[in-house]
Amino acid sequence: MIPGDFQPQKPTGTQLAKLGVLGVVLLGVFIGIVLVLTFVISSWLGRPVIFGHDGPDQPIEFPHETHVKELGMDCTFCHRNVEKEAAASVPAAGLCMTCHSAVGDELEGITKMRNLYEDGRSIHWVRVHRVPDHVHFVHEAHIRYFSEKEGIEAQEVCATCHGDVASMDKVQQNRSLKMGDCVNCHKQNNAPTDCATCHY
Amino acid sequence: MALTRRQFLTLMGGSAGAAVLFQACGLPEKELLIDSPAAMPEDLVSGIDNWYATASQQGGVSEGIVVRVMEGRAKKVEGNPDYPLNLGGHSALSEASLQGLYHPDRISAPLVRTGPRGSGEYREISWEDAVARLSTQLSDLKNSNEGNKAVFVSNPVGGHAGLVLDRFVGATGARHMAYEAVENNVLRNALKEVFGTDSIPEFDIDNSDFILSFGADFLSSWVSPTRYARGYGEFRQGHEHRGKLIHVDSRFSMTAANADQWIHVNPGTEGLLAMSIMQVLSATHSDPIYEQLDSDGILDTYSPANVADVVGVSPDVITKIAEDFSHSEHPIALGGGSAGAHTNGTQNLKAIYSLNRVVSNLGKKGGVLLNPEPPIDGVSAAKATSTFSEFHRLSEEMKAGNVSVLMVRDADIYYGMTDTADMKSALDSVPLIVSFGGMMDDTTSIADLILPQHHFLEDWGTDVPVAGPGYEMVGFQQPVVRPFFEHRGGNLGTKGFADILMTTAQVMGEDLGLSADTFKEVIRNDARKLYELNRGQVVSGSFEGFWNGVLQRGGWWDTGSKVTKEPAIKRLDGVDRAEFGGSNQEFYLQPFISTLGDGVGASLPWLQAMPDAISTATWQTWVEINHKVAEEKGISEGDVLEIRPSNGRVIRALAMPNPAVPPDIIGIPIGQGHRDGGRYSAGRGSNVLSVLDPQVDSDTGSLAWAATRANITMTGEWIRVPKFENTVPEFPRDEHHHIIEITSGDGH
Amino acid sequence: MVTADSNKWGMVVDVDRCTGCQGCVVACQSENNIPINLEEHFNQRRAIQWIRIERYWEGEYPDVKARFIPVMCQHCGNAPCEPVCPVYATYHNNEGMNVQVYNRCIGTRFCANGCPYHVRFFNFWEPEWPESLKNQLNPDVTVRSRGIMEKCSFCVQRIQRSTRESERDNEVLEDGDRGLNPACVNACATNALTFGNFNDPDSKVSKMKEEAMKEGGRGYRLMENLGTDTNVVYLKKVDESVEVTHGH
Repeated sequence: MIPGDFQPQKPTGTQLAKLGVLGVVLLGVFIGIVLVLTFVISSWLGRPVIFGHDGPDQPIEFPHETHVKELGMDCTFCHRNVEKEAAASVPAAGLCMTCHSAVGDELEGITKMRNLYEDGRSIHWVRVHRVPDHVHFVHEAHIRYFSEKEGIEAQEVCATCHGDVASMDKVQQNRSLKMGDCVNCHKQNNAPTDCATCHY
Repeated sequence: MALTRRQFLTLMGGSAGAAVLFQACGLPEKELLIDSPAAMPEDLVSGIDNWYATASQQGGVSEGIVVRVMEGRAKKVEGNPDYPLNLGGHSALSEASLQGLYHPDRISAPLVRTGPRGSGEYREISWEDAVARLSTQLSDLKNSNEGNKAVFVSNPVGGHAGLVLDRFVGATGARHMAYEAVENNVLRNALKEVFGTDSIPEFDIDNSDFILSFGADFLSSWVSPTRYARGYGEFRQGHEHRGKLIHVDSRFSMTAANADQWIHVNPGTEGLLAMSIMQVLSATHSDPIYEQLDSDGILDTYSPANVADVVGVSPDVITKIAEDFSHSEHPIALGGGSAGAHTNGTQNLKAIYSLNRVVSNLGKKGGVLLNPEPPIDGVSAAKATSTFSEFHRLSEEMKAGNVSVLMVRDADIYYGMTDTADMKSALDSVPLIVSFGGMMDDTTSIADLILPQHHFLEDWGTDVPVAGPGYEMVGFQQPVVRPFFEHRGGNLGTKGFADILMTTAQVMGEDLGLSADTFKEVIRNDARKLYELNRGQVVSGSFEGFWNGVLQRGGWWDTGSKVTKEPAIKRLDGVDRAEFGGSNQEFYLQPFISTLGDGVGASLPWLQAMPDAISTATWQTWVEINHKVAEEKGISEGDVLEIRPSNGRVIRALAMPNPAVPPDIIGIPIGQGHRDGGRYSAGRGSNVLSVLDPQVDSDTGSLAWAATRANITMTGEWIRVPKFENTVPEFPRDEHHHIIEITSGDGH
Repeated sequence: MVTADSNKWGMVVDVDRCTGCQGCVVACQSENNIPINLEEHFNQRRAIQWIRIERYWEGEYPDVKARFIPVMCQHCGNAPCEPVCPVYATYHNNEGMNVQVYNRCIGTRFCANGCPYHVRFFNFWEPEWPESLKNQLNPDVTVRSRGIMEKCSFCVQRIQRSTRESERDNEVLEDGDRGLNPACVNACATNALTFGNFNDPDSKVSKMKEEAMKEGGRGYRLMENLGTDTNVVYLKKVDESVEVTHGH
């Protein structure tokens, strides 16, 4: 053995422990970065895949399943602007009261809604589908186009973008609704892809 | 421009209280009522827009407008294409009414003063309390036979609001005085003398081919500028031959800028020029009309040679104008503005309007069309205002303790009266000042009790215009949005002006004889009278259909109801020389109306930021001065000048030299210098009205607002003039850069 | 008649009718959510007006003239602003309009430098309104944030809305429809501004243009020699006292 030469040494116990802690920390950071990136990238590309899989909580539970599947109501009964204007529109409490002045006494949500109605206030629903301010999406034109093309009722068109809302526990976003999504569909349907169609 | 069916469908009547309407859905009433706009959740946004017709009467100018309403909020104003007075165009003031509606400094509940006057310290009280306080005072005065110690000062109100106001002052025994900072009494007086009419006739500028205008800045601010501008467009390019406009003015106004020829005259000599033109015509034409007009033979003293020096126009030019005027097929002579704002104002305008009698254009196409009486008995156009002299007397009465209660509505006497009338300190001696202002103006902010009225877009009303279209019409004003402060509940918030008066009278136990409980019903009852006339442009088999029809179309009018009677010709009076306050002062001080009206627009940021047509200046008070005079005095743009009339008052304004100002004139825009009026006007600029000499028109006692002379001194300070000019680089004008091209011919 | 695939929107401006009243300027600000131009914005030369009235002096007292001309984006067929944009935020669409895409714009301001008409304005500040005044904002128009270029769009939101509504209702969108017209055109009291489809030979603008461009007609374009091929046609001011027939 040459004096002064490199002598392999057995790591001491403390050194091993430190290394182990460092390894765990690095692994943690790595997993953290992966998680964050997964969340960020997937949010960018579409809806988040890790969190928010369910739709947001609403101030009053509105079971689409009961109303649409069981009672067979049309989407357009409540979203009554969808065939006329840009926004599909969410009804004022007054519309709920056409039935719920008589039915649903036992439900907590109904009591809440009736109180709001009597005070002349509105239900502040949490918005699920949202496009940015600089995008002007018009429901009416899309419904008109698809119902003519496919020869179907207006309300059957809704699922194209919104999915099977009737089976959703809480309403959630079904498509990415990013610009790429819009443009792809516009191209497939020979719809205009001029920027000024949506951006002004 | 005709309405297409699609547009017509969207011009909807507001019969359901102007809530956003669902058509044919059979839903419960409650769903029609959208939330108060301020508290509306975004998911209720529907994207539906409706256009409701209503009438704007701001600043005394009537315009029919349609308002775009989405989710209960007013978004856009446009001219009503059917409305006889503006036929589609609209003024910036109408557009900016949206900012009045949503002004951040609106008063949202009745207020009672808690601090010293002018401190702005107020406490909110309920409507019940507020009305009780007013009615108690009025009842006490009435019961002690001192009803006339209550004075109601309002803006000129016509239509049904005027009717309710008349009944209210009648029942309470109060005195009523109408007030306008820039009054048109001289004009109305002269028109009455020449045409025998109380209203301002229609000038058919559209079909005229020669307009001789004296001081009337009819394209920018005079009487009904949107309508005249519409006519002007057709006058220029709507017919085979392009009309010719000669504008006589002592200042280079916007109308002067658009005239084919601007004749600069010395201030106050417009009437002399008009007489001289008539003299030329009477000497060259043998028409019996001159014997009627000039039975005294006074015209000869006004020959061009005699007046040329005084007027400052060469005799040749006078003769040429006279010839052009008489040789035209459809000439009109107009006068107003500064021409009537001199000590000889009425004489000036009488001479000017008599030119129309000389060419007999009355009732003719392209001439002067008199207005018939309004179709509903008792519902008239706004009556002439009280004059400056009368308000001067009022201020003395206030000081003598003869005014116990002063009620004001849209009449800013604190701001608009000259300081020499001493209104500001006189108001101090009035024990109770009650204002109906929906926003603080200078008078409202010293009031003891404020009963805030609705904005006009939230209120009912009718428009019976002073300057009618030459046939009978009643414009309908309906609420296009629910009251903005509705969410404050029935005990707070704002209320309609006429409804406040009706409630107050009811509390006092007075019967106004209106046989209705609300102002809307008053109007609706009288609409039935219109319906029963069975004529006009709205035809319907039922009253309900008629009512919806007039609300949809913005009013009722009958183009067939014209005046055919020609009033007798009155003998000409002489025209005196104008007198001025002060004589050694270097300049004639000429106030003018720019973008803010007589001050009503100062609180609205769009109007503040709207460039003045001539100088492009905004947001400030500037003084127009001849560029060479300025150079001699070493004055450059932005120098702060002090304007000093002989009465000892001083205001400051920013120098704005331009090449069109006559050397002996300084022009200052009216409208700034408010003590209050919200964040956009308080403490901004200076108020030229406050320094004017108390010269009055000798016939009417109206303020001769153009009869002040003043010196200017430099303060050494400099402030950059906020103006649009040079915001973008000016286009070079040479052969490579064709920007504004001129042709001498019409291209025909 | 207006059909979706064959439109070429344009304007005819009759300078002889224009009085310089600024009504169009305010109407535009109301329609298009243009931020309030405060005093300091003017002082910093950063006021925004999509349409403006230029005022030119000729001569001096007593022989003086002031000339007014409204200037808005000329929607050039051959636009100098378009090729300089590094992110294609401004481009020419197939309806003859020069479109500004706010979400693409990164605020280089090259386009403003390139524009010979100086009709492009930059948002130097985040636009601000008092809370209550926001009720007036037009939901059909994006509020531009700080760092974005903006300019006259021919009120494209009105074109979009009125064409869509007429398709929905199976109605013909007529020439001169007040829902189609930009805000300035409807506001103009003197009818100095006319808007329409140059591809429709029966439209009012086409007829006016044809008449104006004839020999001896009043038509011209702003700085035509630049070859910008604008979609705005101007009609000359008439002044019998002036002998020239060309700008000087």
